[in-house]
Amino acid sequence: MKIGLFIPCYINAVYPEVGVASYKLLKSLGLDVDYPLDQTCCGQPMANAGFEKKSLEMALRMERLFKEYDYVVGPSASCVAFVKENHPGILEKKGHVCMNSKKIYDICEFLHDVVKVKELKAEFPHKVSIHNSCHGVRELHLSSPSEQNIPYYSKLRDLLSLVKGIEIFEPKRMDECCGFGGMFAIEEPEVSVCMGQDKVKDHISTGAEYITGADSSCLMHMGGVIKRDGLPIKTIHIVEILASGL
Amino acid sequence: MSSRNDILSAIRSHTGKRYEMPELTVDAIVYEDRIKQFSEALKAAGGQAIVLQAGEDVNEVIRRHYPDATRIASNLPDITCATFNPDDLSDPRELDNTDLAIVEGHFGVAENGAVWITRQVKHKALYFIASSLVILVNKEDIVNNMHEAYKRTEHAEYDFGCFLSGPSKTADIEQALVFGAHGPMGVSVILR
Amino acid sequence: MSTKHSKAAASFIANRQQEAWHDETLWMVRAKRDKMSRSLPEWERLRDLARDIKLYSNSHLDTLLEEFERNATANGAIVHWAKDAAEHNAIVEEILKQHGAHTLIKSKSMLTEECGMNEYLFEKGYDIIESDLGERILQWMNLKPSHIVMPAIHIKRQEVGKMMERVLGTEPGNSDPTYLTHSVRKDMRRKFLSADVAMTGANFAVASTGEIVVCTNEGNADMGTSFPKVHIATFGLEKIVPNRAALGVFTRLLARSGTGQPITSYTSHYRKPKEGSEFHIIIVDNGRTDILAQPDHIRTLNCIRCGQCMNTCPVYRRTGGYSYTYFIPGPIGINLGMLRNPKEYADNVSACSLCLSCSNVCPAKVDLGEQIYRWRQKLDELGRASGEKKLMSAGMKFLMDRPAWFNTALKFAPLANQMPRCLVYNGLNDWGKGREMPTFAKESFNEMWKKNKIK
Repeated sequence: MKIGLFIPCYINAVYPEVGVASYKLLKSLGLDVDYPLDQTCCGQPMANAGFEKKSLEMALRMERLFKEYDYVVGPSASCVAFVKENHPGILEKKGHVCMNSKKIYDICEFLHDVVKVKELKAEFPHKVSIHNSCHGVRELHLSSPSEQNIPYYSKLRDLLSLVKGIEIFEPKRMDECCGFGGMFAIEEPEVSVCMGQDKVKDHISTGAEYITGADSSCLMHMGGVIKRDGLPIKTIHIVEILASGL
Repeated sequence: MSSRNDILSAIRSHTGKRYEMPELTVDAIVYEDRIKQFSEALKAAGGQAIVLQAGEDVNEVIRRHYPDATRIASNLPDITCATFNPDDLSDPRELDNTDLAIVEGHFGVAENGAVWITRQVKHKALYFIASSLVILVNKEDIVNNMHEAYKRTEHAEYDFGCFLSGPSKTADIEQALVFGAHGPMGVSVILR
Repeated sequence: MSTKHSKAAASFIANRQQEAWHDETLWMVRAKRDKMSRSLPEWERLRDLARDIKLYSNSHLDTLLEEFERNATANGAIVHWAKDAAEHNAIVEEILKQHGAHTLIKSKSMLTEECGMNEYLFEKGYDIIESDLGERILQWMNLKPSHIVMPAIHIKRQEVGKMMERVLGTEPGNSDPTYLTHSVRKDMRRKFLSADVAMTGANFAVASTGEIVVCTNEGNADMGTSFPKVHIATFGLEKIVPNRAALGVFTRLLARSGTGQPITSYTSHYRKPKEGSEFHIIIVDNGRTDILAQPDHIRTLNCIRCGQCMNTCPVYRRTGGYSYTYFIPGPIGINLGMLRNPKEYADNVSACSLCLSCSNVCPAKVDLGEQIYRWRQKLDELGRASGEKKLMSAGMKFLMDRPAWFNTALKFAPLANQMPRCLVYNGLNDWGKGREMPTFAKESFNEMWKKNKIK
């Protein structure tokens, strides 16, 4: 199976180490992974702001870039969810049938459901609090949404449990939004900041040293709050933990 | 009548896909001990269930629980502790200042502590106006859940019917729970 | 970049203590709801059924409403049809006139709020008394509901106590909720006994029996209808359910979702007028049939008004009901406002981080968050899109459609890290309000890949 690595724009620009860890992790599992060059953005920021039409070219571009791959795998649940849930509708208006939506996976989902990893070499002797991101939970079903009466599960917890030395926690409001929401963060800044502060506080109250999750965008938002307020917790993408030591 | 026709024709012209009615099959919760579950649910709703023991007289039990009640209304022949028959009053307003009303319910619902009542007194005000309400229900008459409840009342004839679960309550001031917003401050269900 | 909602939200949050109380209190209601929903293994099945029954009933409104009318009429009720708010209010006024009535005692109804009925009747000289405690408090304070189930949730007990000193002569300084509630009870008792006409809304109208169902905890609807010779019940036409078996589904979901109770204290079924009395039922459209023609938004008609989408909404909890410009706040209010008048109520569409908690909590599975996303797509053609957002989106599009430009931008982005603080964190930087900017990497992933640095 040929895997095309999908690196969203802000990971490309701000968190390339998350991309690197993703590549190394997939490689270490003996997978055939490649990075189709010159990726930009999936189009979610414009679409969530109300300009879905502006995302069309990006959706088409992604279709071209990943045409020859069996799987598209990316370290950002929200971007993956956007491709999966929204690209088909965007492309349909141009008479294009979306192919990516059927083969795209968040990297955690991919490792958990497709590769079905049962062991990892990783070691991370720290306390971490899982950030269950909105789109990871409620669109990609990475864990059971707190609103529903279904048995608890968490693909992130399952994967983290394979890491030696780690202690895993979850905040009291286990999947409440951190307040990022793309342009919501700047259109409703006071609400967004308030949500971010509350969320970070909830993570801190678990006693964790790190907030970890499958979405760099949430981590970026909470990271901004942590830095501004000088709070005693750090953020780290889950892939960096799973790839530790590689 | 023109508005009626306008609305109906707007509905007809705007309705797109017509969906099928689903099969209302639910594997709904049932309880091993319905009396126990009913009592717990009623307690959580602020009421109390009293299981009449063998040989106990219902009038004595009521008097024991409501020693201070002086104006007691009931139209039930076996309720001898009543001080008046509410059906003798021509105006429901005369029921004001009733301390205790004693009425019959058809059955209880275990999942939520509610009792199904249909108007069996002259003035339905009686169910709401007394400071305390006692409802008599047969021990055998407790269904598990609302599906069973509606099934059981499928062909019931009534002008007014109510699932009544515990006393009148409100939390409109700062979410602080207060009993007796307008209706009874207390509700007891005697299972006999 | 701001909307009426974001500005009002900012001022609500400025009182961080009040905001935190509001957030925590409503979160507790959500937690109570979670506990209740988990007590039933069949919960998710009930939600599916509620959605499917509503999809059925809302796509068969013509036949169901006719069936309802037939049965209600056979029961002795008088059925009226109102196309809009004006007709609704006129019908009520006409009934009051016919009976020479002056006082109308009314249980909580968001529909009469929607129709502006109280204001209309006040102007004509009628006295309307709200009998729900929360609504009564608001009426005394001349305020509007800030939540559809807990209308006075934003008011502190001290404010209520102070107000009641004035209107009821309660003890100065006493703001104990039990004391205040029982003071209102005494006052309301006289009002119940002396009102000329009673009015209620309806949570459900049952086509197969022609009865209406009203759910309250206070028993105010039942007290209200127990004395006057006239009962007027009014409902929006989507409140119709096919039969009593459907009630089995909805009565199990409504209070569990709304307040975390297994059922409301009173679930009252009004079928026939009592002897010597009149029972009027008003079926109201007021824009609802227009929603039928909008498949993208049709599921808003599934709503059973439990209010849980407000309690779960991280934005609503932190901004209060008054930050929204439509009279129904929160996720359902954003959507209903847009359906009422998209140009007028577009300011509320920003009040959503698209977290989708509302869609997951809704007992009738209204796709609330997804619909808000769809409304955002329409703002531009409505002329209500934010110019700045549009510009930013256009800028991003330009960059993202051109990988070479994007790569160049990535190369120079780290320079932004070096910019003086005062240039970065000024009043124009909405991100900078409360958050540090992310730091651009020295080398982007694209760059590293090209240099073969990733192995």
